[in-house]
Amino acid sequence: MQKSKSKPISPKIEEVTRYMKERVGVGKSYDFGYREVVILKRKVQLYYVNGLVESSIVVRMMQELVNLADHEFEYKKAPEIIENRLIHEQVEKVKTYDEAVDQVLSGLIAIFVDGYDQAFIIDVRHYPGRSPEEPDTERVIRGARDGFTENIVENTGLTRRRIRDERLRHEMFKVGERSKTDVCIGYLQDVADNDFVSYAKERIQSIEVAGVPMADKTVEEFILGHKWSPLPMVRYTERPDVAASHLMDGHVILYIDTSPSVIILPTTFFNCLEHAEEYRQSPLIGTYIRWTRLLAVMLSIFLLPFWLLFTLEPAMLPDELAFIGPNKEGNIPIVLQILMAGIGVEFMRMAAVHTPTPLATALGLIAAVLIGDIAIQVGMLSSEVILYVAIATIGSYVTPSYELSVANKMLMFFLLIVTAIFKADGFVVGTLILLLYLISIKAFRTPYLWPFIPFDARAMARFLMRYPVPYVNSRPNYVHPKNIYTQPLKTNSRNK
Amino acid sequence: MNQEDHISHREGMPSLIGRVAIIGFVGGVFWSTIGFFMYYFNFVEISAKSILLRSWLRRPWTDGWLGEVISILMTGILSIAVAYISYFLLRKWYSMWGGVILGAVCWLLVFIVLHPLYPNVPTIYEMQQESIVSTFCLFVIYGVFVGYSIAYDYYDLQIKEMQLNEKKKNAKDS
Repeated sequence: MQKSKSKPISPKIEEVTRYMKERVGVGKSYDFGYREVVILKRKVQLYYVNGLVESSIVVRMMQELVNLADHEFEYKKAPEIIENRLIHEQVEKVKTYDEAVDQVLSGLIAIFVDGYDQAFIIDVRHYPGRSPEEPDTERVIRGARDGFTENIVENTGLTRRRIRDERLRHEMFKVGERSKTDVCIGYLQDVADNDFVSYAKERIQSIEVAGVPMADKTVEEFILGHKWSPLPMVRYTERPDVAASHLMDGHVILYIDTSPSVIILPTTFFNCLEHAEEYRQSPLIGTYIRWTRLLAVMLSIFLLPFWLLFTLEPAMLPDELAFIGPNKEGNIPIVLQILMAGIGVEFMRMAAVHTPTPLATALGLIAAVLIGDIAIQVGMLSSEVILYVAIATIGSYVTPSYELSVANKMLMFFLLIVTAIFKADGFVVGTLILLLYLISIKAFRTPYLWPFIPFDARAMARFLMRYPVPYVNSRPNYVHPKNIYTQPLKTNSRNK
Repeated sequence: MNQEDHISHREGMPSLIGRVAIIGFVGGVFWSTIGFFMYYFNFVEISAKSILLRSWLRRPWTDGWLGEVISILMTGILSIAVAYISYFLLRKWYSMWGGVILGAVCWLLVFIVLHPLYPNVPTIYEMQQESIVSTFCLFVIYGVFVGYSIAYDYYDLQIKEMQLNEKKKNAKDS
């Protein structure tokens, strides 16, 4: 339908000028520039968007075009001669205005020649951006320090550098009627499940929206169900090595232009608890790190409601643990104290994100002194509350996925409130509801709590133990890989 | 030949029947361990040992940690039977609700139908309300663990077979 609407390029250069003025606002919009030169007695116009083109290359090409008049005199063949003298490896010809304008707006230049009904498009893009840096949220002690940037071409390049496989596919789509954002879907053709890849493509192509300035998050919300779920339905990563290792396992990666994080599909709850660090240490240390992390995450969800339950029902504590519980109750019900302290921590977390660095020390001081000390002295909070809230908070900071840590906090508040109202019954039934909810979620057709429920013995063992890589010869089951082995089966092939 | 190797999926993995047994055993052991912690923290007044050992054994060791461990292992073995029942009845129902029903039925069996077998355990009318709620929740989540896992495994196998057929068809065409 769009094809039929688009107007073919007119051979008259005046017409081109008029079209550009009316449709694109040349002259009005300061960033859309044009330059007109006369070559071989013909007017030649060059359109570009400043800020997106590499000026030095454009100047070099103009120089070549202008000098051309000194050697060439066949005026009739001007377009061919000009094409020949466009010294760049990526030159394309387009026949309609729409195509030309689209390309110019993405940073290419278009050259129109009087008397010729096509335009030359030359790729001289140079997007403003930073060079790869180590991502803040996924630091490792050892390992690669490069991270994805805001530039999709660089991002796919970073992955390609790690997988030089001819079967790695990077397919491009455009999303957004106005923003025309590039979305790239990456997968290994002979590993990723056909059904899954085509389903993902279908979902991306069905997005109809003006634009996706918030890039990956918006795309995620369009393609996934459970839109109200607090839990992250996909895993984000800014590390090319993490993305590459997931591709190898048969996952699908979505790159969205202007976002430094890529989307890994499909994802499970336990997938969000893994961290690149574990694979950089020896397997046993990796296992130890993973267990510690799992413990911290569990504490961040269950510790506060569990402790609250014992303050409400001290009789439930076994005799050995009878010392637990607030020695001084304080003036405010414990549940309110926990809620206050919890929300106070949230205040601090949010403030820490926005506080300019010079003020951060002052913020830390205020937080530590006010909440930590004075609150106890004036009798607002009891000291146990501070202790347990602090442990739970540290636990949530240990969670590798930031999205998951915030979601866990919400689950914790839910448990806290049902425990406060219904005591032991509330805690047990609340936990059951949470578990059943997690089980019922399917992120992109994948059970969220896999491999725990539904249980997969081998995958669960691989989560609980960080196996040495040579012993892990198969890909995870839940992505339904077409080719399950990552290493040749030694024992079998020898027998045959 | 290499191709053959890749097609024969899940080589080296136990068969479906074996996996069902593993699911049952792990489910029984894991959730009865959780049950023990619930007993320790007084959510429930009985633990697996009260039903499985103390009902017919009066030796002192049955009340200690050994009794707990042995009864947890016994639960695991009994649970294999539950897993097979679930496999025969529920494997085609790929939904967690099948598991919820399985768990609820198990709870009814243990606490009402089979109750006369263990007179030392309080009847449902004598039990504290927390115990009833907690044991019921535990059985439901256990049922989901077993029932849903088996249903998913079966569903997964279906997908694998589909992929296999597709591959064979492609191989024939080309």
